[in-house]
Amino acid sequence: MLKDVTLGQYFPGNTVTHRLDPRTKILLLILLIVAIFMAGGWVGNGLMIAVTAVCMIVSRIKPRSIFKGLKPMLFIIVFTSALNLFYTEGTPVFPGWIITWEGLERSAKMVLRIVLLITDTFLLTYTTSPIALTDGMERLLSPLKKIRVPVHEITMMISMALRFIPTLIEETDKIMSAQKARGADFETGGLVKRAKALIPILVPLFVSSFRRADELAVAMESRCYHGGEGRTRMKQLRFAPRDLWALLLGAALLAGVIVLRQFGL
Amino acid sequence: MEPIIRFENVHFTYPEGEREILCGIDLEIDEGSFVAVLGHNGSGKSTLAKHMNAILVPTEGRVLVAGLDTADEDKLLELRRTVGMVFQNPDNQIVANVVEDDVAFAPENLGVPPKEIRERVDAALKQVGMYDFRMHAPHLLSGGQKQRVAIAGVIAMQPRVLVLDEPTAMLDPQGRREVVQTVTALCREKGMTVVLITHHMEECIGADRLIVMSNGSIVADGSPQAVFSQVELMEREGLDVPETTRVLHELGLPTDALDPETCAERIAARLR
Repeated sequence: MLKDVTLGQYFPGNTVTHRLDPRTKILLLILLIVAIFMAGGWVGNGLMIAVTAVCMIVSRIKPRSIFKGLKPMLFIIVFTSALNLFYTEGTPVFPGWIITWEGLERSAKMVLRIVLLITDTFLLTYTTSPIALTDGMERLLSPLKKIRVPVHEITMMISMALRFIPTLIEETDKIMSAQKARGADFETGGLVKRAKALIPILVPLFVSSFRRADELAVAMESRCYHGGEGRTRMKQLRFAPRDLWALLLGAALLAGVIVLRQFGL
Repeated sequence: MEPIIRFENVHFTYPEGEREILCGIDLEIDEGSFVAVLGHNGSGKSTLAKHMNAILVPTEGRVLVAGLDTADEDKLLELRRTVGMVFQNPDNQIVANVVEDDVAFAPENLGVPPKEIRERVDAALKQVGMYDFRMHAPHLLSGGQKQRVAIAGVIAMQPRVLVLDEPTAMLDPQGRREVVQTVTALCREKGMTVVLITHHMEECIGADRLIVMSNGSIVADGSPQAVFSQVELMEREGLDVPETTRVLHELGLPTDALDPETCAERIAARLR
């Protein structure tokens, strides 16, 4: 089950999307997210589906890897669609039924919205290396340094967290095997029993994470880490003409969706 | 020649600890030499290593690295770029998701221009034989490979001294060999001073100098041949000696041969 974690995964490649500046991609994602929420009617939503599909094809990301990423979100998707399905007033589908046509439409749009949101976010993380991503974030947020927001520290923390996800998953697997060898049972019983069975995993995991953090801090200091001041980067970020085009396209899409919304499409 | 590292009557006790971990260490390490430090768990060998780049500072006495006092906080950065440190667990010292980004970490911290970082990273990766893996994710490498990446990450800083604190403790025999070969080459080819902390006797054989620690003191110091020939002392410390030395000792022959060939010659000479 732990092997399914796709958070922070990156598929190296050499497509246009891979080569875009991470800052452009972050801004584009924000534009897309706003557009997803702005899309009201089916024409707008259809446009967003088309755009996302084109992005997937251009970046050569297989639908399978997107599905894998969607799987952990299944519960939220089902839950929100059910809520919308049962709690929307309107004309019943069949006389006497609680499900209404309006409810059907709303929950379908809701599911679509969540799926598109997640897909677009995955398109960003799948095509951008974590270092480039956090580097881009640091640069985009750098104006906040003026109001004393510790931008470098925050982005460094994010990149460390991403770096240690696979290591911690490996460690969790090891601890689970060790506890199973001692007769622990994680697969049977009710929710409460299963949650309780996780305690003997979480405690050693936390203890070892603290030790790791401590060792990592010493190792970083030994390699002359002293905060973001005076730091250079091996891989410089550079805006290319394609970044400008990508951003213009993104802005045009958002404008288009807003116009469609005005016409109720 | 001025020694690159000098310990002057160094004592160390942890703030909340009662037992003294280092009890008056006097030690000089020459530039360009390969020094191995052997000792049991709790002998103080790791504590000794941590004094070499000011992770720990002596409670009494002082440590000088290239003329800098490790207690001088203003010189901390200069000191740490002089003495690079590799630790036991490779997972806990790799900071990036891509090998080459990790190796670039130290020069980035030092504010080296991007073009030069690229050159340093490539050179460091080639030196440890990991250049072909530069785009790989570190968590998919073997232990020995990870540790070599960690070494590359330190030498990209271009330190004069490389201190390795039990770098092989978590590795399989294959990984151990890779790491020891890499650091030996660094010393012999690049003239880098290497201090290797270990509890594996066989890793010390290629060193110029072997120091044995026990209970916070240095109990033996000399060439590996000279140290291993003190078989009684090594046994008292619960440390192994190479098989060759043991054979010669049991036979009552002079125990100054470490490699099997010389050992065989000694035995043949006696039989004649």
